[in-house]
Order: sequence, then structure tokens, then C-alpha cells
Amino acid sequence: MAFLKLEGITKYFGQVTAVDHINLSVERGEFLTLLGPSGCGKTTLLRMVAGFEVPNAGTIWLDDDDITHRPASKRPMGMVFQSYALFPHMTAEQNIAFGMSIKRLPKDVMQQRCAELLKLVGLSDKGRSYPHQLSGGQQQRIALARALAVEPKVLLLDEPLSALDAKVRVTLRNEIRRIQQQLRMTAIYVTHDQEEALAISDRIAVIAKGKIEQLDYPEEIYSNPRTVFAATFVGTSNHLQGVVTFPAEGICQAEQYTLHIPPMPHLHTGDRVLVIVRPEGVTIQEANETIDSEANSATGNHITGVIELRTFLGPFTRFHVSIDEGKTFTADLPSQQARDYYVAQKVLLSFPPSACQVLPLDAREVEAEHLTEGEKV
Amino acid sequence: MTNRIVLALVILYLLLPLGATLVFGISNGNGIGFSSYQEIFSDHDFSATLLLSFELALASTVLAVVLITPTAYWVQLRLPQARPMMDFLALVPFAVPAIVMGFGLIEVYSGNNTLLSILSLGLVPLLSNPPFNVVNTPQLLVCAYVIVSLPFVYRPIDNSLRAINTKVLTEAAYSLGSGWWRTFLTVVLPNIWPGVISAALLTFSTAMGEFTLAELFGIYTFPIYLNVTGQNNAHKAASLTILSFLLTFLCVLGIIFLLRRRPGGAKQDERLDIVAIK
Ligand SMILES: Nc1ncnc2c1ncn2[C@@H]1O[C@H](COP(=O)(O)OP(=O)(O)OP(=O)(O)O)[C@@H](O)[C@H]1O
Ligand SMILES: [Mg+2]
Repeated sequence: MAFLKLEGITKYFGQVTAVDHINLSVERGEFLTLLGPSGCGKTTLLRMVAGFEVPNAGTIWLDDDDITHRPASKRPMGMVFQSYALFPHMTAEQNIAFGMSIKRLPKDVMQQRCAELLKLVGLSDKGRSYPHQLSGGQQQRIALARALAVEPKVLLLDEPLSALDAKVRVTLRNEIRRIQQQLRMTAIYVTHDQEEALAISDRIAVIAKGKIEQLDYPEEIYSNPRTVFAATFVGTSNHLQGVVTFPAEGICQAEQYTLHIPPMPHLHTGDRVLVIVRPEGVTIQEANETIDSEANSATGNHITGVIELRTFLGPFTRFHVSIDEGKTFTADLPSQQARDYYVAQKVLLSFPPSACQVLPLDAREVEAEHLTEGEKV
Repeated sequence: MTNRIVLALVILYLLLPLGATLVFGISNGNGIGFSSYQEIFSDHDFSATLLLSFELALASTVLAVVLITPTAYWVQLRLPQARPMMDFLALVPFAVPAIVMGFGLIEVYSGNNTLLSILSLGLVPLLSNPPFNVVNTPQLLVCAYVIVSLPFVYRPIDNSLRAINTKVLTEAAYSLGSGWWRTFLTVVLPNIWPGVISAALLTFSTAMGEFTLAELFGIYTFPIYLNVTGQNNAHKAASLTILSFLLTFLCVLGIIFLLRRRPGGAKQDERLDIVAIK
């Protein structure tokens, strides 16, 4: 059995179902991220694991023990909060030692571990500082050290970086990942920032409305989203709704566009699908007559449009291209190639079938079943 | 410049009556002398009533703080929906004059009302007859003082609890293995110290100077002594006032000093939360 296992966890707040029958397994040493929009129930789920909230239904197993109703103070969990939650009247060292002193560890052991942890989080010189004398990033490092001091079996982090500025956020997130890997710590991390989730996790659980939409490796979540929500929430994507015309050949009709998609033998003619294209899979060319006529015969997909917006993003440049009926299509080009294109220019967008993700649209139930099966493994 | 003038005026406004009282106390019709102080210190009633008032005030302070602090913490943590009710309850003593409350208490505990004895689960008849009689005892007076001082105790403590992130700090302590009481004593209390101190200070001074209830209960406290003296010897009463003012002043200074010396205490500007009870 998995190290930490949630079975059918459900939580209501009055009429609101904050967490809805969630099944989830976390392996020992794994870094799992709960990713979802505001109000989807990530914090509530994490708080139930921590013991601050009792589920209305379901069981939480840790290392084969049922801990569903065990009080928070008796669970071997370390928690890191968004607001740091350092004890203001204690120095950094005293904060770190707090949990150890409850465990009545000998003084020299405590001192030694304090020093080790301060070194681990890179703040060896700040042991005697009070929280208000530390920056936000430093406070969160101390909070991390404090949570690790009690040698928890699971480390829980609820948006630990969202109160910090962008640069510190990236440094500290790498730091957290490094420490987690170094200690082989099992960790559950909550965030609404998809980039952060992709960067830091072993696996990601995409959550919407109290349910897990997809549980997978970051690469899979990004390149193989299994639900419309997962596809939209993680990364930027272009969406085209269409009807399958030749499933075996991989052809579908999205309004006036005939799209070449990967062959879909399990679909039928007439099935409604959503075709998803990531912006980096789209290339841009200058539009002219010859390519236009060529487009129809080639196996790739070609759409003409007019550049509406050009955003320089460092390594690449993002183009918003308006295609028909006020719809826009997003394409990313390496910035070196992007120089030739300008706003109001008429261009041809191209993307191969391999750049297309196809999701059946009217098969929500099938999809849901598929999901729960995936989690039982 | 105008600031200074305003400040000077305010100080004058505050100190003038005090100075006048002082002068009135030491002048005895035909000159200046300290005979009134001699009289006071040799008066047995002075030390007896002062001691009694001190004891009553101390008991009320301890009882009020010990009762209210954990309650306020509990409400903040577990029953946030009960906060409006607490706010209301804490204001009731302001709205009900002390004289009404005094009569109420005496009425309840000395009457022979069957309905009341049932409603109080037999507590009222038990407590109003020997050997557990509380009517007109200092013990009941202490309880009354606790109620009177409820606004002064609850508000500063509640404000302090709101100012720190009580819930998250508590959860952080829980997750590190701390139980409720340990969290309260070692994490929450040190951070709401200023609020607790102001609560204690206000309760203490309220009880120390309370007149109406003590008079109704027939307990000879310092304010009553002051009143009696004032009716007989105005100069002596003025000197008494100065003395009690000095006493209070020293207490406040001592407490402020205590607060400053607390480890890590001088860090934020921890002003006493007296103003916050408005
Ligand atoms: N203590 C509570 N009482 C009532 N409703 C609550 C409580 N806690 C959470 N909820 C509700 O449960 C739902 C999930 O809340 P939760 O805090 O878990 O969301 P979240 O995913 O962490 O969102 P965010 O990213 O904004 O932190 C929300 O609709 C919220 O309003
Ligand atoms: Mg949250």
C-alpha cells in the first residue's frame, strides 16, 4: 500500500462541497502537488491530511495506520504556511527548537540539529534573529526548518511562496525541491500557480471543484491533458471545437477548417471533439497565394490570420493572431525568428497533426470513469 | 510650534486640578503643613480599607484575567460565529449602571423566589444561606467587579488576539506536537501580553476606585473611606486623593517597566491597549 493514502475523502462546509470523494496515493519520498484554481478545495484537502479539519467521509492512511481522526498534534506531519506563522516572540533558533523541546530531546541534540537545519536552509547566521528582523523569504526558510526539525513523515506546504516576490519565489522553490530530494522527504505541496507546479513536482493532481481532474507526471499533464479543465488550466493553449469526419485517417472538421489530427480509431464519425494546440507547436509564415493553395493538399494544418498583438517574453515572442469571427490563436516563436513579423501583418499559421491534442467532448462520464480507474492503480 | 502649545495646554488641563488638590491638601486654613498626611498615616481605617480594596482589586483582576483570556482565545479559535455575542456581552456592563446591578445581585441572592432557585439549579438558595452565604460578602463583590470590568478585560485581549494571527500560530504549534494548553501558555499568551496587562491594569483600577457596589454591599473599602473622610475633613480627603493617585501612578510605571524588560519585548511598539476599548 502507498505511504499516504486518501480514500473517498469528502468535506462539506454547510451547502458547499469543498472536497468531493478524493482518492489519492502518495509514495514515500514523492513530491506531490495539488494544483487548482482558488476555492477548488486544495487547502481543505491539505488541512484534512494535517488534522486541522475532519473529513465528513473517507479514510486517511499513513504507513498503514488509520489517522483520519487523530488530532493534528499527534500526527507526524510538518506544516509550512503561506503566512510563515513563525512565533513572533521567539528567535529563529527558538522557533526551530519548539517542536523538539516538546519531544523532550536532550539539549545538545537540539542545538546540533538547530545548527544543521539553519545550515540546510542557508541561514546559519540568523539563528538569533527574531522573525520581524527577517525578510519574507528568510522567514519562510526558518518556517521550513522548523517543520523539518520534528522529523515529520510528511511535509505539507500550503502555498508557501505566494506571499513572496517573483525572484525569491523561484529561488526558494528550487531550494525546497533540493532539500526535499536531499532528505527524501514525502511532501504535499499546494499551489494555484501551474508553472510552479510543473517545475517542482514529481506528480501533480489537478483539482477542480473538489475533484481530481488528472493525476500525472508534469510532462504528461502538460502534453497529454485528459480533461478540458486540465488543458486550459495548465499552460496556454488554443482550442478548436470540431466534429470527427474520418476517425481512422485523423481528420475532423472545425467550422470551415479541415484539421489533420492524429488517427483516432476509437472515435466515430460525428463525434464532437476539442482540438487543443499549444502555442509552441504553431509556426508562422508570411501569407501569400502559393502557400495558401498548397495548404489544402498538405497533411499539416494551415490557418490564415492577422497579427493582433506581439509580446516579447525573452527567449520567445508570443503572437496573438486573429483568425475568423474574432477568434484569436496564440503562437510562440523563438525571439530570433520573430523579428520579421509585425502587428497587422497577414500571416499563415501552421501546425502538424502531432501538435494536436484531441479530447472527446460529449463523453464526460467515460472520462470520469477512466480517471477513477487510473487512481486505483 | 502649535503642536507644543497644544501639548502644553493638554498637560496643564490634566495637571491643574491635581496641583490644586495637592495645594488644598497641605494648606490647613492658616498656612501650609503636612499635618493632614500625618493624620492619614496614623488613621487605622486608612491602612485597613486600603488593604481591603487592594485585596479585592487583586482578586478581581486575577479572576477576570484567568477567566476571560482563555475564553477569548477559545472563541477566536473555535467559535468565531460567537464573537458578535461576546462583543455584546462585553458591552452590557457599560449599559447597565452599577447601582442596577448591585440591587439585582442583592435581590436575587437574598430573595426567596422559587422560580429563581429552579432556574439556577438550586444554586441561589444554596449560596444565599449559611454556610455558603455569599450575600454582602467580599467574595460576591469580587464577582460583581469581574462583571463590571468585563469590557475592560475582553476588548484589549480580543484586540491583541486579532492583531496576531492566532489561528495560524495555533495550528503551527499543533503541527509541531503542542497541545491546547501548551499552545495557549507558550505561544499565544506571550504574544498578547500587552493586551492582558492593559486588561489587568484597567480591572485593577476599576475595582480599586469602585464606590456604588461596595456601598450597596456594605463593605468598607477605600473609596468609601475616602467619601466618609471627604464629608468630615476636606483637606485630609484631598491629600488622600493625591496619595491614591501616586499609588496608581507607581503601579502603571511598574507595569510599563515590566513590559519593556520582557525578552524581545522592546521590538514592536507595544503600547498598552487602553485606548482600544473605545
Ligand atoms: N472554514 C470554512 N467554512 C466554510 N467554508 C469553507 C471553509 N474553508 C473553506 N471553505 C470553502 O470550501 C471551498 C474550498 O476552499 P479551500 O480553502 O480549500 O480552497 P483553495 O483551493 O485552497 O483556494 P485558494 O487557492 O483560494 O486558497 C471554498 O468554496 C471555500 O469557500
Ligand atoms: Mg488555499
